[in-house]
Amino acid sequence: MAKYLLKDVAHARSGDKGNISNICLYARDPKDYELLRRQVTAERVKEHFRGVVLGEVTRYELPTLGGFNFVLKEALGGGATQSIRLDTLGKTMASALLRMKIEKEEASR
Amino acid sequence: MKTIRIGGGQGFWGDINDAAIHMVKKGDLQYLACDYLAELTLSIMQRQRQRNPEKGFAQDFIAMLREILPVCMEKNIKVLSNAGGMNVAGAVDEARKLADTLNIKKLKIGYILGDDLLDKLADLQAQGITMKNLDDGRDLSEIRDKIVNANVYFGHEPIVDCLDMGANVVITGRATDSSLFLAPLAYEFGWKPQEWDKLARGIIVGHLLECGGQGSGGNFDYDWRSVPALDDLGYPIAEVGENGGIVVTKAPDCGGLVSEQTCKEQLLYEIHDPANYITPDVVADISQARLTGAGKDRVRLDGVCGKPRPDMLKLCIGYLAGYKIEGYLPFAWPDALDKAQCAADIILKRLARKGLKAEEVRVDFLGVNALHGPLAGEPACKPNEVVLRIALRTRDKKEAAKLAPEIAPLQLNGPPGSCFFGGRPKVSEMIALWPTLVPRDAVKLTPSVLEVK
Repeated sequence: MAKYLLKDVAHARSGDKGNISNICLYARDPKDYELLRRQVTAERVKEHFRGVVLGEVTRYELPTLGGFNFVLKEALGGGATQSIRLDTLGKTMASALLRMKIEKEEASR
Repeated sequence: MKTIRIGGGQGFWGDINDAAIHMVKKGDLQYLACDYLAELTLSIMQRQRQRNPEKGFAQDFIAMLREILPVCMEKNIKVLSNAGGMNVAGAVDEARKLADTLNIKKLKIGYILGDDLLDKLADLQAQGITMKNLDDGRDLSEIRDKIVNANVYFGHEPIVDCLDMGANVVITGRATDSSLFLAPLAYEFGWKPQEWDKLARGIIVGHLLECGGQGSGGNFDYDWRSVPALDDLGYPIAEVGENGGIVVTKAPDCGGLVSEQTCKEQLLYEIHDPANYITPDVVADISQARLTGAGKDRVRLDGVCGKPRPDMLKLCIGYLAGYKIEGYLPFAWPDALDKAQCAADIILKRLARKGLKAEEVRVDFLGVNALHGPLAGEPACKPNEVVLRIALRTRDKKEAAKLAPEIAPLQLNGPPGSCFFGGRPKVSEMIALWPTLVPRDAVKLTPSVLEVK
């Protein structure tokens, strides 16, 4: 099993609503959609953001787009209005997710 | 078949006007829609208006109109915007004066009043509308004396009314970002309030365009290096057919990129459940959406459906929730991180000695962990320079102010090799948002048109 970082096989963008962060995640190569579906679960994302995201994590699957939408509650230190994070809007939550380690049986890249 | 071309000219209040000006000239548009309002913007505008009654709207929009209005009148391009913010009448008045200055005749400025419910909260409560906090169920009485603003999010119908009355420019307060884009489509194609699939497609057009450059190659994670001329970024344009067929593209002769990947990244931006994107106009479902390349800088969007709109409208109440302050101090090699950590310890000890009462204290090191926090791990090598950032959240303004004098002296009194950066920290107000719902029929929106003869 080769070890990869999620950034090598996926791309992402994050946005905010109040104290909720959402991250969309897409397979760079459509063939890797299933691999992401198996490995980047809501549970793993919750564990990945331990100490940052205090609330629940929900994953929505979008097979026609080859991606996922993650909704992370209590994720932004109170949200844009009250947060004293440097990144109050969580614009960098996407790249933080892409630090996740994943395993691939065969490399498509 | 008739198609309408709409451009998204603005991503937020403070965005640049260049792309809007360019697409008006070269984008072959019939409509330009400009979104200025993020979640907190109205609270900030309200504070501006309280200091100066002539302010409280996005004055940048007037600056944009100065550049584009003559061309828009000549080409019959209509401009829609929620730049009116907390002072729609003030923005309309400025637009009227501008038309006089530019000697533009026969301009009709449409505007919509009624989203500002600050003076009506007591009436609404008297009608039994509780306005409890949608997130945590708290009672409005908890914040009653701290409220800054209260604005209801409204949809496309009153904007269509303005277009029906012949408006060339429409200025609103808290119209939803996407309704500014749906309105001209519904007006042109005669879409009815129950045609949910068509309305949903109009809303998603708005969703793809309302963030300006982020829909055409800006903030593009997939391959930012491949985007041509970010210094001259064109913003997205949608071509929409009568039945809601959608192609996203951009103007010629400018930078930027429209590809399946740029559209994908924007399509889910700030969406929660993709099958239930709730707006005042329709609940849009993009869970089965498909994006297909349709030529250079052209992408087709299919598979968007709609469901009936909600009975309640979202009301967003801004209230004063405390104060915050942040200070910065950079340190140079060698041992930059150790020195920054030492400076943080000094500041925290001195604040404790001053008896600081804070809700939250946060210490970050720019260059090390200020963005990814604990996920960043240890730096791979010793950084050449590190910036200490220290931030406080307090209930009392005096408490936050305790940080202000503590940063600069450390250039002389702390570890070696720091310099002053960013000026002396200033306390700022912290306005929190109270999301709640009100029944649709409790809100009276009035569309009008002012003619500049």
